[in-house]
Amino acid sequence: MADTAGVATTVERHPALRRPRNGTLVRACVVAALFLFTLFALPQLLSLYFVDAMTQVAVYSMVALGLGVLVGRVGMVSLGQVAVLAIGAWVAARILFATTLPYPVVLLAAGAITMVLGTLIGLPALRMRGLYLALITLMLAGAITVGLTTVNFPNGGHGFLGYNGSSVHIPPIRRPSIASSDPAYFRYCVVVAALMFVLAYAHIATRPGRAWAAIRQSESAALAAGINITLYKLWAFALASFITGVAGGALAGAVRYLYSIGFPTQDSITLLAVVLMGGAYSLWGAIVAALLLQLLPALLNNWGVSADWLTILFGIGVLQVLTTAPRGLADQVPRDLARLGRLIREQLRRAAAARGGAQ
Amino acid sequence: MPSWVDFQPFIVTGLALGGVYALSGVGLVVLYRATGVVYLAFGAVGAMGALIAWSMANAGLPGWLGWLVCVLFSAAVTVAYGIVFGPPLAGRDPLVKAVATIGLTLILFGVMDLLWTTSGGESRSITLPTDNSGFMIGQIQVNWTQVIGLAVGIAITVVTGAFLRYTKLGTAMRAMANDREISATLGVPVRRVEAAAWLGCGVLAGVAGLLLADMVALDATTLTFLVISSLAAALIARLRSITLTFAAAIVIGLVHDLLTPILALSSYRDITPFVLAAVALFVLSRHRVTSPSREDA
Repeated sequence: MADTAGVATTVERHPALRRPRNGTLVRACVVAALFLFTLFALPQLLSLYFVDAMTQVAVYSMVALGLGVLVGRVGMVSLGQVAVLAIGAWVAARILFATTLPYPVVLLAAGAITMVLGTLIGLPALRMRGLYLALITLMLAGAITVGLTTVNFPNGGHGFLGYNGSSVHIPPIRRPSIASSDPAYFRYCVVVAALMFVLAYAHIATRPGRAWAAIRQSESAALAAGINITLYKLWAFALASFITGVAGGALAGAVRYLYSIGFPTQDSITLLAVVLMGGAYSLWGAIVAALLLQLLPALLNNWGVSADWLTILFGIGVLQVLTTAPRGLADQVPRDLARLGRLIREQLRRAAAARGGAQ
Repeated sequence: MPSWVDFQPFIVTGLALGGVYALSGVGLVVLYRATGVVYLAFGAVGAMGALIAWSMANAGLPGWLGWLVCVLFSAAVTVAYGIVFGPPLAGRDPLVKAVATIGLTLILFGVMDLLWTTSGGESRSITLPTDNSGFMIGQIQVNWTQVIGLAVGIAITVVTGAFLRYTKLGTAMRAMANDREISATLGVPVRRVEAAAWLGCGVLAGVAGLLLADMVALDATTLTFLVISSLAAALIARLRSITLTFAAAIVIGLVHDLLTPILALSSYRDITPFVLAAVALFVLSRHRVTSPSREDA
């Protein structure tokens, strides 16, 4: 994915120039206004059907954010994020059924446990990069999905797994007491998602973000600059898994009944496609990706159009993004750099020759 | 623990499944070596071909025509993709090339779900005439489709191996696997060789789609994403050796099916390809596989 990072790279390369001073205030105002609008006005304006859809958007914006951190910041592609989401949802559901702990604690616990497990999934990243890393995360996701299909999601049963196969009456997963209605739970999810975005931004704008950018551009150069590659790669996986785990917890309360069929391995592939379409290199991209992934199907369903058209659109979108995106400079393999240099030299020579001919 | 007799039938089905995995794996490895593309749409084109064959059989056309169209369709779509998207992505990271084929997968998957909808709970099946005839080895019933599965797997591995070793086109493919630009400089017709590799991969996708539709299920989702399991064998061989791909595929098929009679593990048997691939990748990656020069190639 490294070489699609062109736009972000040129910006990231000069941390001092990253954000023009006069734009910062405007941007902060826009973000604040949008956040307040989403929090207060949106649930009033929308029907319950779309409030539910927007709750999913809030949840999946966190999932897309987690993948965006890995792909856009560090240049590591994971094809297993939906499996990580499933882990988060499983852990949260288990804790919610077993205890009466307050919801924020449950979300944090789900995030923390998922962080540990998700970082294990990220361990291969220390040894491999690019294609092989993507494919091994796909394999691990496949394994996790098969495992979860077999153990099932907790439904109020007893024992460690909390699954009661013969249960006729399945209790719904509880919601926070302050947010039991759908619009209230939507607001709750928006706040949680906003906190996750702040957390991600706090990482990106500070030391880890700079280390990730260096690793993305060249691991050798980052190593030479004294950056602990092992630490920062695992850190990225830990952050992404934490965010995704919290998203899983929010998802458990949103849908209230969880089934392993809801987390197929192929969804991780679709997720990557949509995140790339939305733009993996900015935080806004995560929101765009979530809207594409969750709001569009709801809209199409409302209009009676098959969601398959959306799948086709995503396919075309991925091809379009990958073929027309500018050739990146980030973490680029030496041959591509050499080729680019050749191209520039060629152009310069030609320009010089043209000038020479004109005189 | 079940007795030996319980395992016997699963050796046959395991070998057959392994054979088809080998067929898919070899197709993926050959294309990857020639073009650097991990063709994730391998399952989708095969699935769509199989669905077309099913529709043609339902319309009363002879079965062999449907199978032929299935293979031709897979080949045509694959070659068309290779010609349109191969060159613009040729210089990009292998990961970008692989993700681009996800685009094709999603398009095909959407079209399949539109045309052959599964929401009504309608189930389809392809039965090859070889399903109902067979023979006995000792006490094990073997049908000809299973024999074909294993035989095609072996045949494809041997033929592809010989092709890469002894023909001019095969040598050109191996040269391109090492360095596309140097091959081009030396006069290898790069695009034509790539087109040939796409064609071969497409034909194998069609054949694999038909066999898997018969042996596993004729279902767009299952067949499309079965490529993830097939990919496991290719990954164990590090996307390089076709002999190793074949061996890995047979092992995956055998382990998968031999777990069936063991009750404690039976429901986990679908995990086999993933675990084997993950372990193999993890162990094998100890050597400097991520060095810049290797990634560059």
